[in-house]
Amino acid sequence: MAKWRTWLPWLLLVAAGLILPAILPPFRLNLLGRFLSLGIVALGIDLIWGFTGMLSLGQGIFFALGGYAVGMHLQLLALPPGELPEFFGLYGVKALPAFWQPFHSPLFTALCIWVLPALVAGVLGYLVFRNRIKGVYFSILTQAALLVFFNFFNGQQKLINGTNGLKTDTARIFGELVGSDSMQRNLFWLTLVLVVAAWALCRWLTRGRFGDALIAIRDDEPRLRFTGYNPTAYKTLVFAIAGAMAGVSGALYTVQSGIVSPQYMAVPFSIEMVIWVAVGGRGTLIGAVLGAVLINYAKSLVSEQLPETWLFIQGGLFLLVVTALPDGLVGWWRQGGPRQIQAMVGWPPLAPTYPGLDLDPAVQAEREALGSTPGGAP
Amino acid sequence: MTVSASTPVLELRQVSVSFDGFWALNDLNLSLAPGELRAVIGPNGAGKTTFLDVITGKVRPTKGDVVFRGRSLLGIAEHRIARLGIGRKFQTPRVYQNLTPRRNLELAVKGSHAPFSLLFGRLDSRQRDRVQQLLAVVGLEAHASQRAGSLSHGQKQWLEIAMLLAQDPDVLLVDEPVAGLSEEETERTGALLRSLAGDHTVLVIEHDMDFIRELDCPVTVLHEGHVLCEGPMEAVQSDPRVIEVYLGVEDSGVEDDA
Repeated sequence: MAKWRTWLPWLLLVAAGLILPAILPPFRLNLLGRFLSLGIVALGIDLIWGFTGMLSLGQGIFFALGGYAVGMHLQLLALPPGELPEFFGLYGVKALPAFWQPFHSPLFTALCIWVLPALVAGVLGYLVFRNRIKGVYFSILTQAALLVFFNFFNGQQKLINGTNGLKTDTARIFGELVGSDSMQRNLFWLTLVLVVAAWALCRWLTRGRFGDALIAIRDDEPRLRFTGYNPTAYKTLVFAIAGAMAGVSGALYTVQSGIVSPQYMAVPFSIEMVIWVAVGGRGTLIGAVLGAVLINYAKSLVSEQLPETWLFIQGGLFLLVVTALPDGLVGWWRQGGPRQIQAMVGWPPLAPTYPGLDLDPAVQAEREALGSTPGGAP
Repeated sequence: MTVSASTPVLELRQVSVSFDGFWALNDLNLSLAPGELRAVIGPNGAGKTTFLDVITGKVRPTKGDVVFRGRSLLGIAEHRIARLGIGRKFQTPRVYQNLTPRRNLELAVKGSHAPFSLLFGRLDSRQRDRVQQLLAVVGLEAHASQRAGSLSHGQKQWLEIAMLLAQDPDVLLVDEPVAGLSEEETERTGALLRSLAGDHTVLVIEHDMDFIRELDCPVTVLHEGHVLCEGPMEAVQSDPRVIEVYLGVEDSGVEDDA
């Protein structure tokens, strides 16, 4: 039974990975792939916010950096040798800017997607955490940094096509157009694998003593300091990891959307990321992924039918979570939410004994002690 | 009589702390001999907590110096001071509510506290034994796997004391360890602290006069940020200055404002 329960989710996941591409139209599959890739940035936010208590409103920076890295590579890949990406001609740029050169290399790009955001996050984080900036001030600071990056990228027509962004669909990988259905299907699978990998990484990080230290930072940072821990090191490391995950997420999102633009660094988008995690469940890793996928799917479905109402629904969802479900959907589920609903509709779940007895550890310990002595009470 | 002939393990030299012109500590001198058990009392606002903040690096003194084993602690970060061997228990029990008592202790147990050693290293058998032993000492074995937030106030007090012991510091600074404890728990805490002195240097801040008497150790009285007098409990109690500022409600007894 226990084994079955461990394997079932994985079996379902593999089955979904095989069946969905067969039954979903390419457009829907592509949407799902994009939303799954957003699950990775949400996992990073869960790590820094749900576990470590740092609410970053600037994850769009790292998301976009990953997107631009892969976008620049695909721009170059789409060209015949010796030519420049088209937009350079519009601004009278004759030679490829030096920082574009390394993006000819697929290996460099693959590293840059996550190392560059991790470095930026690490440096930014270190400066902030070393000065013990936290709470609301940290959130405001990350949002300010986001705006700085947003405005900078918007204004750089001559370097990265400014506000128009970079298109990625016309490049070919292994002779196949990036925008083609079969390549998009491969990218869906890649996304699925990377979401699972990101989840596994987060689980590994949060399960043991390292995860306990993160929770301790969230709940009582000064206390941890007086125990001999240096919270700055932990926070910097975790913020860099979340940055790297945002970069990977942004790269996957870019190749499945066909474009990367400064809009990825728009303020509302980074706030939405936080809402996905809040709705799915802070501190529950699976909740972050579920929140990202469900909310974005709902958004696209609602927007197709009633484009004006989505923002109201999203705001309503956030209010609902803040007021009624502080631990999100997954937290509510784990804390016995369904049983409460059951009890509310007049069909309470049956308990074999008084729940107080079954839950009290002292009673349980006593029961075990009695059970182990020969002739003890049954 | 309170300062033994050996060099002090911890010394505060003319420490003054000013918060916007208010002198929370005022020319405070105090030294602790290795292995000593010392009680610090004083009316509210005497600067007891600020005094611990200064030692543990939370507050930087405006004037004066704090010396630990011949080394000044000024300007050293809190976590480094803790690693040097100064542990602190807070006034209100501060345990990590969302972790179990066992995990609370596993975080506190002596060893490397660097991120990578927590990620890749495991607790060795000595550390695990220590955690188990401490759970037994404070009677939390049956509660080892339950959220610490659901423990009673007394259990949290004891868990925090266990966390302090897990750190295995040379100097233990214990702020109001028996606030809110039952009589029996208070007695056991006193016995525990007395047994620690000798191997460790223990400084206890308390309001509970019966408890201080039970500790049977030198007492330092703080008043308005400086040391009013030092000596055994009986001597301190009969000191007219102390009676005036602190104890002088009745002739025979002592007011207990814990």
